[in-house]
Amino acid sequence: MDFGLSDEQRQIREEVRRFAENEIEPVAQEYDVEETFPHDVHEKAAEMGLTGPYIPIEYGGAGYSILDTTLIVEELFAVDPGIALSISASSFGCEAIMEFGTEDQKERFLEPVALGEKISGAAISEPDTGSDVSSVSTTAEKDGDEWVVNGTKMWITNGTVGDFFVVLCKTNPDAEGRYNGFSQIIVESDRDGFSAEKITGKLGIRASDTAELVFDDVRVPEENLVGTRDAAFLQQMQFFDQTRTAVAAQGVGIAKGACEAALEYAQDREQFGKPISEFQAIQHKLADMHTRTEAARMLTYKSAWKVDQGEDITQLASMAKEYASRVAVDVADEAVQIHGGAGYVNDFPVERFYRDAKITQIYEGTTEIQKNIIARELLGKGL
Amino acid sequence: MMKVLVTVKEVATVEDEFEIEGTAIDERYLGADLNEWDDYAIEEAVQIAEAIGEDEVDVVTVTIGPEDCEQTIRQALAKGADRAIRVWDDTLEDADLLDVGAKTAILEAVVEDEDPDLVLSGVQSGDDSFMATGVSLADAVDFQWAAVVNSLDLDVEGDTASVRRELEGGVEELTDVSLPAVLTIQTGINEPRYASLRGIRMAQRKELTVQRLADLGLDSSVVEGDLRLTGMSVPESESDATVFAGGPEETASELAAILREKGVGQ
Repeated sequence: MDFGLSDEQRQIREEVRRFAENEIEPVAQEYDVEETFPHDVHEKAAEMGLTGPYIPIEYGGAGYSILDTTLIVEELFAVDPGIALSISASSFGCEAIMEFGTEDQKERFLEPVALGEKISGAAISEPDTGSDVSSVSTTAEKDGDEWVVNGTKMWITNGTVGDFFVVLCKTNPDAEGRYNGFSQIIVESDRDGFSAEKITGKLGIRASDTAELVFDDVRVPEENLVGTRDAAFLQQMQFFDQTRTAVAAQGVGIAKGACEAALEYAQDREQFGKPISEFQAIQHKLADMHTRTEAARMLTYKSAWKVDQGEDITQLASMAKEYASRVAVDVADEAVQIHGGAGYVNDFPVERFYRDAKITQIYEGTTEIQKNIIARELLGKGL
Repeated sequence: MMKVLVTVKEVATVEDEFEIEGTAIDERYLGADLNEWDDYAIEEAVQIAEAIGEDEVDVVTVTIGPEDCEQTIRQALAKGADRAIRVWDDTLEDADLLDVGAKTAILEAVVEDEDPDLVLSGVQSGDDSFMATGVSLADAVDFQWAAVVNSLDLDVEGDTASVRRELEGGVEELTDVSLPAVLTIQTGINEPRYASLRGIRMAQRKELTVQRLADLGLDSSVVEGDLRLTGMSVPESESDATVFAGGPEETASELAAILREKGVGQ
């Protein structure tokens, strides 16, 4: 058993943190308040290769493992989750193209994303489809050598800034079994009949773009089908271990950022003639926050490492996602508490961490869904 | 094939609040980082290679330092240097202080081995701040030199570096230096890049050679200098520094108010 990071991994971590502190921190408050996508930061991040770390080298990426990517996500989220998501999610959907796409699709879609020239998205949720993914009602019908897509997608990350989306569609309404008959189809945002409306007023991750997508007889060529027709559900499921681990890494990052901010503030802030870090009530909070963050980190790293080993880790990934997101919410809460009144306004980053943390318990499967999965695995009940 | 040798130092960084133990800062308050000026020198060398053609230019870094500083060296490799040399052995490990003379002698030996067309060195190191090694090296190897260079235009065909040097009092000098030359590089000459993820990946496979003094044909006498560190203290503060936080809209007027108050701007 080896808990050490390699020299290369330490170097990745330090350089990403340097980038985040220099390029993200100074503008984090502004993008949060304005609720706009940080195009300029995204561009700089692309130069460094942060827009597709796991995309293979031959397609313009760095070919890094899931564990390496976890370290990157953690450092970015420790500085600002909204901008961090705008960077780390700029390749959403690409994992499906990487795994199941044709050579032509990989060349056309992966490289521009890795180089930061394009932004991608994954469109799964709908107004009436959240945790129950099998209720997707967006359809794609074959007409000659084209797919005709109709329907509405909701809560889509990068919705108004994305250049293409991997859209989960029902392609065979007559398929037997609730998980059959779906396909993943790439829809470019400049196709006729595609429209996106930005969703504003989010509690957190406000720099990240979220939108409702409408597909009104959108026609795409048949070669935009990703992988096997009608088998998208099985394809999609293969990435749950990876995507849930990624959200766990986000949670660890937020908790890390909140821990660091709280530790620093507690030593600076003086009351009753001494720094508040001298008081045991604050010391115990700091001890608990750091301990739980480290526990979440170990669970997350193990989950990432297992994904890299090619193991099927449904239960572990759900444990990491559920626990790390809960720790993020709790630790951010305590960080605000330590800041007192100063933590209730946006002069300090903890106010953002507090608002940003909550989403990690909601997207990529809610806390409740994760617990269902863990219990199901424990009790040996299948899908 | 053109060769650019960049001197790279890992410097000690210190926290805002620290304690001094004898003639050293207590290790608890110390960190390590790539010397800021060398970061600009590396960037300049890599930009030269990118402009001329990466296959036409060999960028080599040289560092005097223990194994611990290999991570800093890898950072230079990740930013685009082709290979690295690290000089260290027990004699250097045991030396109390490596002064300019010792560094000059070591780097002189490396220059003789490598035979570069151009040596780029940071103007100074962030910790010792001797501001002398680059020029001293030029003298030792009998190269042309220019110090505190903040703009560089290289004419490879003509074997000439056209440089802009920063002098005191806001005065700058434009001059041409014939190659081979040593240039000490000032901050601001370029905008150093972040090491890209691909760069970090490739850096792990780049050649990093470790050389002992004996490998360079030197013996322990190089570390014997006349310089001794006899004391260390925090200088008395004679003036106050004011840091303005916020965007230019607010800070500009705050600055103007202070300048008016001090009688600087009329």
